[in-house]
Amino acid sequence: MAEKYVNARGLQCPGPIVQLFQAAKEAQAGDILVVEATDGGFKKDVVAWCKKTGNELLSLEDDAGVLRARIKKA
Amino acid sequence: MGKKLVVIGGVAAGTKAAAKAKREHPDWEVTVLEKGKDISYAGCGLPYYIGDVIKERKEVVVKTPAELKAWLGIDVLTEHEALKVDTAAKEVTVLDKKTGQTKIFPYDKLIFATGAEPFVPPVPGIDLPQVYTVREVADADAIRERLDKGLVRRAVVVGGGFIGLEVAENLVLRGVQTTLVELLDQVLPGFDPELAILVQKHLEEHGLTVITGDKITSFVADESGNLKAAITPTREIPCDLAVWATGVRPNTRLAAEAGVELGPTKAIKVNEYMETNIPDVYAVGDCAENVQLITGKPAWIPMGSTANKMGRVAALNLDGGADKDALRGVVGTTVVKLFDIKAGKTGLSESMARKEGYDVESVLVPAHDRAHYYPGSHLILVKLIADKASHRVLGGQVVGEGVIDKPIDVLATAITLGAKVEDLAKLDLAYAPPFSTAMPPVVTAANVLLNKLTGRLNGIKPQELKARLDAGEGDLEIVDVRKDEEVLLGKIPGAKHIVLDEIEARADEIDRNKEVVLVCKVGLRGYLAALKLKAKGFPRVTVLEGGMTAWPYATE
Repeated sequence: MAEKYVNARGLQCPGPIVQLFQAAKEAQAGDILVVEATDGGFKKDVVAWCKKTGNELLSLEDDAGVLRARIKKA
Repeated sequence: MGKKLVVIGGVAAGTKAAAKAKREHPDWEVTVLEKGKDISYAGCGLPYYIGDVIKERKEVVVKTPAELKAWLGIDVLTEHEALKVDTAAKEVTVLDKKTGQTKIFPYDKLIFATGAEPFVPPVPGIDLPQVYTVREVADADAIRERLDKGLVRRAVVVGGGFIGLEVAENLVLRGVQTTLVELLDQVLPGFDPELAILVQKHLEEHGLTVITGDKITSFVADESGNLKAAITPTREIPCDLAVWATGVRPNTRLAAEAGVELGPTKAIKVNEYMETNIPDVYAVGDCAENVQLITGKPAWIPMGSTANKMGRVAALNLDGGADKDALRGVVGTTVVKLFDIKAGKTGLSESMARKEGYDVESVLVPAHDRAHYYPGSHLILVKLIADKASHRVLGGQVVGEGVIDKPIDVLATAITLGAKVEDLAKLDLAYAPPFSTAMPPVVTAANVLLNKLTGRLNGIKPQELKARLDAGEGDLEIVDVRKDEEVLLGKIPGAKHIVLDEIEARADEIDRNKEVVLVCKVGLRGYLAALKLKAKGFPRVTVLEGGMTAWPYATE
């Protein structure tokens, strides 16, 4: 199981979700994706995306405006 | 010997007027009569005191009588209730509630600052001990005590205005299962529904149960006389605490009995100098009327911010000099924070503007509060309202988790100075990435509104689109032009999906005989798609204003 970092900082929506989508495509089941984004809209989008795709949102934190999501690929 | 000034009421406007009057006239004898135990308290802070955001009572009580005496030389008498004013003899009859004695206070100048009090209708059970209003510090003390003792598991808050919502938020934050009941179809009366519904969704996401369009008809108690439930025509809501917050009414009885004229809003009528119809008698703060600057009509907009200004103006005009200070009116600016969302408004709402007879154009525009790449950037939703013919800005409303008070204050300033939409679009506002964007929200919104006013853009609001869809209108072709990954998160039921990049190549998939509604995340790509389709000869193209950002309804 690998951990992969996705830098989506500085991207406007839908940039972060598009990046996450690509990264998830390339990842193996069980891999951890760590996505960082600065667009506030990512908070809701990533929750909705995980629900829709069945991937597991392990954590979502707001580190002084940098949103960091840890996702386990299903 | 200086004159005698008596001020009736010692919260915001009264203490401000007394303090300023004493600074202007050090030889005057200034007396403030307050019927309550506390003076100069921050009434607006009470919800946060309930929520334990403000830890101690002393933090909301701004000044004590001893401080006012020592600092300013004002005599503040608490628990002194004015019973009667004789404007011919120029004296006030006062009950000293501590001693039970009645005293007479002669005056040369008199200021009414009697404030407002919660509107409490005769609902059965409203006098139960667990049903509160929140106006005075003592109210908040009592609610806090119940919370601290662990006596409150479930609460009902009646009224979806600022105080009701703020109290509800603070009860939720204290772990109380809270239901808010509002008579109207939306929370935040005064805001247009497009924005109010987004606030309501946010409240619900944070655990508040919101019931709109329903009315509490009674409160019922258990066998030991303690509140058990709030009753509406359609449901029973179990609760052990209730807060009644359906608004306030101006406290004018004393003034009216003394012959002081009330205005059409039922508050005390004053001119721009805060003078009433009776010589040497003034009125300030929540008990007095204002002028709505845009319409020029009398309005009652009781706000702490206005109360303080009125107090100062009255104090400056007491000596009747030629260089009087004046408060011409207010535009009606308010702001509120609830959990992570903030909402502000200034000027007229669209519905108020229509009621006043304006031919209105308005627009919904999401915009970033600061550079999108700067950490903490948020999309906020701006609504701008203007007069169609003159392009004069009539009002603005902003909702979002980012910085919204700045655009609201910019709009309040612009509206006060009579700005047109064109003026807003050219404002030179502060910009660097941590603070704003190169095209700040107000400027962007003004430009989109100009696009509408000049016929470049046809827009449709989410509420109107929803109503037309619900009515089963077959003349609509909804096309979502966002990327696949965005559409996966949800689109309007029945919408066609053609990504913007392919809209020209795939234009023949769209029924050109129908009204085409283009949808994206904020409205920009929808506008671009609309221009492309127009160029291809589509006769009726419309853009969903605010895009999916402002769409509060179900998606597929």
